[in-house]
This record gives sequence, structure tokens and C-alpha cells, in this order.
Amino acid sequence: MKDELLVVQHLNKSFRRLEVLHDISTVFRRNEVVSIIGPSGGGKSTFLRCLNLLETPTSGQIFFNGVDICGKKQDLDRHRQKIGMVFQQFNLFNNMNVMNNLTVAPVKIKGMDKAAAEAKAVELLERVGLADRSDAYPSQLSGGQKQRIAIVRALMMEPEVMLFDEPTSALDPEMIGEVLDVMKRLAETGMTMIVVTHEMRFAREVSDRSIFLDGGRIEEDKPSRELFAKPESPRLISFLDKVL
Amino acid sequence: MKFFADMWFVFARYNRFFTEGVRNTLIIAAATVLFGTIFGTLMAMMRMSRVKPLKLIALAYIEFIRGTPLMVQLMFIFYGLPMLGITFPDVSWIPNFSRFAAGIVAMSMNSCAYVAELIRSGIQAVDSGQMEAARSIGFSHTQAMTNVVLPQAVRNILPALGNEFVTVIKESSIVSVIGIADLMFRTNDVIAVTYRTLACLAVAAMIYFVMTFGSSRLIALMERKMSHER
Repeated sequence: MKDELLVVQHLNKSFRRLEVLHDISTVFRRNEVVSIIGPSGGGKSTFLRCLNLLETPTSGQIFFNGVDICGKKQDLDRHRQKIGMVFQQFNLFNNMNVMNNLTVAPVKIKGMDKAAAEAKAVELLERVGLADRSDAYPSQLSGGQKQRIAIVRALMMEPEVMLFDEPTSALDPEMIGEVLDVMKRLAETGMTMIVVTHEMRFAREVSDRSIFLDGGRIEEDKPSRELFAKPESPRLISFLDKVL
Repeated sequence: MKFFADMWFVFARYNRFFTEGVRNTLIIAAATVLFGTIFGTLMAMMRMSRVKPLKLIALAYIEFIRGTPLMVQLMFIFYGLPMLGITFPDVSWIPNFSRFAAGIVAMSMNSCAYVAELIRSGIQAVDSGQMEAARSIGFSHTQAMTNVVLPQAVRNILPALGNEFVTVIKESSIVSVIGIADLMFRTNDVIAVTYRTLACLAVAAMIYFVMTFGSSRLIALMERKMSHER
């Protein structure tokens, strides 16, 4: 299938004897925005981190563009260039200013011309309203600014899919909106996005599909509107009761 | 008052002894820091290597060196090795080369174990999210290290390395036991001819303090400059 970007089959992950993910199978299609929701400790972040192999699955397969990236001899660095990731703690490179944070990967990995990379960075920074902060260091930025820069940093590599690991959980309430806004606009451009989030409004209104993960299992996986309107599994019902 | 007069007398009259001692102490300390840093870096890389045998060798070395007295290590190198048939050569145009070599080798072997640990902890103190972010964007482990982690680690390591230099200056006094004419050795010479033990030791202490305080101020200055740069 051409529009199947990421296919996960029978994914298991254990830390020593603790089973964190149990037999996860799902398909992420091109241009799709998917939210992963569920209680803390349910395996959401671990699942997301398995998708770009920051965590190595214990068993199972992940196909990216039809290639099993869990297989041996896979050039992981190459795959990761096409899978952008945004972290809860932003993780901007502290030793570089904003401009270098954005250009270091395209220049050093893709061999992009420095001037071209900078021009592109300025253009993307303008889109998130931070063109004037290109000389600032991460320590001089607010959380919301850092996270918008982190999104731009991932976009600089022109990824085919963007992974968001609780992108607003470390933010002060008044900064959540500016980051969600950037994500919403990104979704509108047709970017494929997989978002682990506690923002139920984002899941319901922006994402096409939501996956409810609890106890390391997919309890429910269906279009967002349906999932929120008619939750079926008792766990999802009690979860939504608590958070909505 | 008499005491200070004594100190002044000892210092003024025998200043050539002290000067030579200081020179040799600084030679030993500088060489130790140089080799200690070079080999300490290698040792730290081995210690963090994913190759098990390298890691185990480094671990054993570091633990053993840190768990035994420098005095024993020095004696072992200077007296022990020749008994095993390993000798340091003499170099005609450098007086006492074999002694100096033994002293520097022993001090460097000791220092490198400590340097290895402070480099390792400096690298591990960099938030693991930095490495993850670099890997997630497509950098290899080596690229992530050189572009992101190490530049941040250096800022943790340099101050600690400065402290190590100060420690080495003080600990180098131990090489006097194998007959290297460092500051401690020459102080003993002056005591032997003047019998003014307390005054001589006080002078030596003052000189050591000037050296250590001077270098720690210098290091603090460099640190401040570095923090401005970023």
C-alpha cells in the first residue's frame, strides 16, 4: 500500500521483566494525524519512542515505507532523518544558538549549503513567529518558544512523519496554546503526525484518529470523533470520565 | 616576630634552593597534567566503550589506581620495575632523566585514573535528552558526541581538570622520596643545613600555596571567559 507510511506489527517491549507494550499492531497512513492517549504509565511514550527506535522493541516489526527498520543492518540514522521528533523537554542543543540548532543537522548530515539552510530556517522561524530570536540561546527562551523552535528544528530535515512526545506537558498553561496552534497549522499542511498527548481537545478536534493505550495494549483505535462520542471499552469510558 | 625573621632569613639566603625546587615541581606537575589528560581521555573512552574487554580493563585500572596509595605506585615504578628488568634510560643532556621519567610516569598513571573519572562524569552530566534529540534527527553516535554532547561536557570538565592540576602540584611533593629535587626535597636540604625546621617548612608551605592559589585563580579566570563566549 503506497499510503501506508508506518506499519507496526505485533510490537512487544519489555524492560527486564516488566512488559510495557503488548502485541501492538496498527497502521499510520500518509497525511494522517493520530493522537495517542491514555493514562500515565500506559506505554504511550515508549510506543512513540519505538517508532524511531530510540527504544529497541523486544519483538515485532516496524515497516517505514515498506522497509522493516527493526531488521539488522538497517541504516537507522538514515531512517531517522525522515522521522522528526519533538520531545516533552524540548531538548534543544544547549551549546548552540537558535540558528545553529536549526541548521546543524541539514548542513552536517545532508550536506546542505549553509546559506541555503539559514534562508530556510528564517522562513520557518517566521512561520512560527520567532524570526527575531535566531541569535538567542535556548536558556534565554521561554518553554513555548523552545518547543516551537524544536518543531522547526525537526521540520528543517523535511521529515515524512513527525512524532510528538507530550509536547505541551512541560509548558506553563499560557504557553500551551501557542504550541498547539503551530501543531494545528502543521496538520493543515498535510504533515503526517503521531502525537502522544494529554490535550483531549487537540485529540478530538485536530487528529483524524485516536489510539487509546492502557496497560501496554491498544484498547481502542478508531476515528477521533467516534472514539470520543461513543467510547466502548470500560477503561476508556472511565479514563474519559476523569479527564474531560 | 623572630619566627618571621627566621623565615625571611631562610628564604633570602637559600632562595636558589627553593627556586630550583619550584622549577622541578612545576616540571613534574605540568608533565603529569599533560600526560594525565591525554591518557585519562583515552582511559575514559575505554571506560565508556561498548567493547566489553576494553571497558573491563579500564574499570580495573581505574579502581586499582584509585584504591592504592600513590606512594606505593611511585615506589613500585622506581624500585620495583628495575627488579623486573625494566629500566628508564639515562639521557646524557638531561640530568637525572631516569628519576624524572619514573616520577612523571608514576604521577601520570595515577592522575590519569582520576582524570578518566572526571571526564566520564562530565559527559554523563550532560542531559541524556541532548543525545536523544541528536540521534532522533539523524546524527550518528559519533556525530552526536562531537557536535552536541562533548562541547557541553567540556564546560563541566574544565573546572574539574583545573582542580586536578592543583591537586597534582600538592601531591607531587611525594616524588622527593625517590630523589627528585623538587620543592619538598630542596626544603629538606635547607632544613639539614640550617636546623630551622619550622621556618623552612613555613616557607615551603607559602610557596606551595602561592602556586596552587595562583593556578586556581587563573583557572577561574579562564572559566569566566568561557562562560562569556557562549
